[in-house]
Amino acid sequence: MKKMILLWMLFAFTNINADAQVYYTKNGNVSFFSKTVLENIDAENNQVISVLNTETGSLQFSLLNNAFHFPKAKMEADFNEDYIESDKYPRSTFKGTITNLSDVNFNKDGSYSVKVNGDMTVHGVTKNISVPGTIVIKNGNVSATSSFKVLVNDYKIKIPSIVSDKIGESIEVKVSCNYQKK
Amino acid sequence: MERKIKRNILLIFAAMIVIAGIIGFMIWNEPHRDIKDATALKTTAVLLYSNLTKDSTSMKSRFVNQVVEVSGEVKLVSENQNGDQIILLKTNISGGSVNCTMEEKINNAKPGDSISIKGICSGYIGGDPDIDLPGDVFLTRCYPSI
Repeated sequence: MKKMILLWMLFAFTNINADAQVYYTKNGNVSFFSKTVLENIDAENNQVISVLNTETGSLQFSLLNNAFHFPKAKMEADFNEDYIESDKYPRSTFKGTITNLSDVNFNKDGSYSVKVNGDMTVHGVTKNISVPGTIVIKNGNVSATSSFKVLVNDYKIKIPSIVSDKIGESIEVKVSCNYQKK
Repeated sequence: MERKIKRNILLIFAAMIVIAGIIGFMIWNEPHRDIKDATALKTTAVLLYSNLTKDSTSMKSRFVNQVVEVSGEVKLVSENQNGDQIILLKTNISGGSVNCTMEEKINNAKPGDSISIKGICSGYIGGDPDIDLPGDVFLTRCYPSI
């Protein structure tokens, strides 16, 4: 009888697991910032698809490079044509997992520090990165933010020397997503 | 005489530098594409979505980075984190939309309305087939089309 109960409990538990808790957004925000001598470069993309699985900790981001909006048209054109080459490499993606998932209680309001590890693909180059982030649970709503630095050289983004003083070698990337339940 | 020639050469150089500076400044400060008055490729949300989700690259390049005017039925009106209005237009895939970020808000837009939106088509991002989440076609810098 005990075995039966145990088996039943196990069955019930796996059933809960099968009902995966998946959150997503299709209008997440990714921005980057580069401080230069001449002018600060600040671009924003509000059309980021992100999927977060609170059961497995898997976290994905995908965006179209040509959807970054710059304050100046010339910056936007240069970014698409010369640096990120968005015709050749239309998307940037990140596929990873939250490595300290057990620290987050998705059922309790609060702000949780997380570590995320995974593969980021930009400009056709895939690199494994580990970045810090924050998950905020408020009234059952899940949101996530992160801020980290990216070296343009890591992704083989060539910047002609004539403008290299305008574009910092290190770019600060910010991610912010408000999720909804799938 | 020689002094005069030297002075003229210097003046010409100075003028060239000033002109180059002005041109550079103008290029650097060139305004963004005017969407409102641009001629647009006309299509419907259903057609645009099915075109961009197909594997034909020729159709993709026809719309991507172009100003398009998309007519369709409003599925949802919401806001992004910046307070910009987001309008989702219905496609024939449930869960897949033409996702428009508005630069100029459409007041009283509500689900079920038939509307026309003009914006730059940035392309299609696939969703996650594992969780049965279809992707969206994205339009940026959108305006109501009258």
